[in-house]
Amino acid sequence: MFRNQYDTDVTTWSPAGRLFQVEYAMEAVKQGAAAVGLRSASHVVLATVNKAASDLSSYQKKVFKIDDHIGVAIAGLTADGRVLSRYLRNECINHAFVYESPLPVSRLVVRLADKAQLKRQHISGLTLIILQEQVCTQRSWKRPYGVGLLVAGLDETGAHLYYNCPSGNYFEYQAFAIGSRSQAAKTFLERRFESFNNYSRDELIKDAIFAIKETLQGEKLTSAICTLAVVGKDEAFHLIDQKIIEELIDSMEIKEDAPADQAPVTDEDGSTGAAPMDI
Amino acid sequence: MELQTLAMKDATIVDDGTTERTSYPYVTGTSVIGMKYKEGVIMAADTGGSYGSTLRYKSVERIKPIGKHSLLGASGEISDFQEILRYLDELILYDNMWDDGNSLGPKEVHNYLTRVMYNRRNKFDPLWNSLVLGGVKNGQKYLGMVSMNGTHFEDNHVATGFGNHLARPILRAEWHEDLSFEEAVKLMEKCLLVLLYRDRSAINKFQVAKITEEGVTISQPYALKTYWGFSAFQNPSKGAVGSW
Repeated sequence: MFRNQYDTDVTTWSPAGRLFQVEYAMEAVKQGAAAVGLRSASHVVLATVNKAASDLSSYQKKVFKIDDHIGVAIAGLTADGRVLSRYLRNECINHAFVYESPLPVSRLVVRLADKAQLKRQHISGLTLIILQEQVCTQRSWKRPYGVGLLVAGLDETGAHLYYNCPSGNYFEYQAFAIGSRSQAAKTFLERRFESFNNYSRDELIKDAIFAIKETLQGEKLTSAICTLAVVGKDEAFHLIDQKIIEELIDSMEIKEDAPADQAPVTDEDGSTGAAPMDI
Repeated sequence: MELQTLAMKDATIVDDGTTERTSYPYVTGTSVIGMKYKEGVIMAADTGGSYGSTLRYKSVERIKPIGKHSLLGASGEISDFQEILRYLDELILYDNMWDDGNSLGPKEVHNYLTRVMYNRRNKFDPLWNSLVLGGVKNGQKYLGMVSMNGTHFEDNHVATGFGNHLARPILRAEWHEDLSFEEAVKLMEKCLLVLLYRDRSAINKFQVAKITEEGVTISQPYALKTYWGFSAFQNPSKGAVGSW
């Protein structure tokens, strides 16, 4: 393809003004197993699809607790995700050490986004000016991180859900989905997101499971294939027990056998082929 | 990796390779008293800066507002207090620059100061101050103290220096939850008066500061009425046996 000449390293622009290496990195995110995040006024829920290398192996960990008030779900190169999680944990714990209070989510995601570039970071006061050397889009011998992160957290300004991109961009979302077949989940969420702010914790969790279901498109939704995590006011970030996920899925499937007004399937565009209801 | 530690500025590098550090204070402020009351926190200190035993400076403001939510009062070396104010100024500035709805509350500032004081103490180059940090954020009142070696704690009423010995017993007896502002000032003035009588570095010029959810108010300096007509003061050497 034509763009091959300008995609060798990350510091080369294409004539059209694109950094192809960064775009390829974002492709890696699209190949990863799906992850969704939903936010209400008081809670944030993350859900991921567990992909295992083979039936014999365990599945990859995609949800990480960063601090009591923050957790992330990743899609893409999970190895990069682990490295970034370690960085995020470090930032949170350093802040808590100096200020005895949780790092605000918006400030954490900015640091993460800066890490995707090469930036000097000034930490105020008595301390040090640190040169961030990790990844970047500004040094040719480094490569961008190939992982997208859904950062879910709570601070004094409320509940937050951010998406951090390998390009260094970040946005705040009411709900979002990343990874393979995430478009189906996004379509589902787009229809419902306006009421999310008023959702209770349990409604939010149910919708997260529904969203994950959308990305499975035909595969059976079981508690083994889905990881769920929640953080809320007075509720530290934690993974939800598999048993509870099973109960939730069962209660949802019972509803689906009943006249399906609730099932979002019927208004799905016909081009998806196999109707998810064929379980 | 570039490393620049602002804290090293106070040390002087001498030619023979040794470093010199401050090991004693020059211009000092005396006690600061702080207590919680119904709407927030009240803090008082005199405006004196002593140069050893000389009451040299009479208009030193030893209580300053920090950001929107805190008050800092200091006793000890005045120049070190000014240095701390510079650090905090930078800290608050960067916090404000985020402009994201989050702000550093009194708890965060107190902890930051603790880290700074402890860090300096570990380098044998302390900031020679006892700090009182009070504030209100989201309805929560906060009052804490940090000493020059990094010891820190929170309480309903705190004092530094002589205040610990003269004022706190009064506060322990008479402080209670939900004092009105007038009651709190009265109690404060009672403590300040004792300090004025008995602390030789205290002067009769005080500032009382209060912080509530609405903000900070620091009073203009004023004097307390003293009474020296006690019979014991009339003939001070009456009971004293001496050779002169």
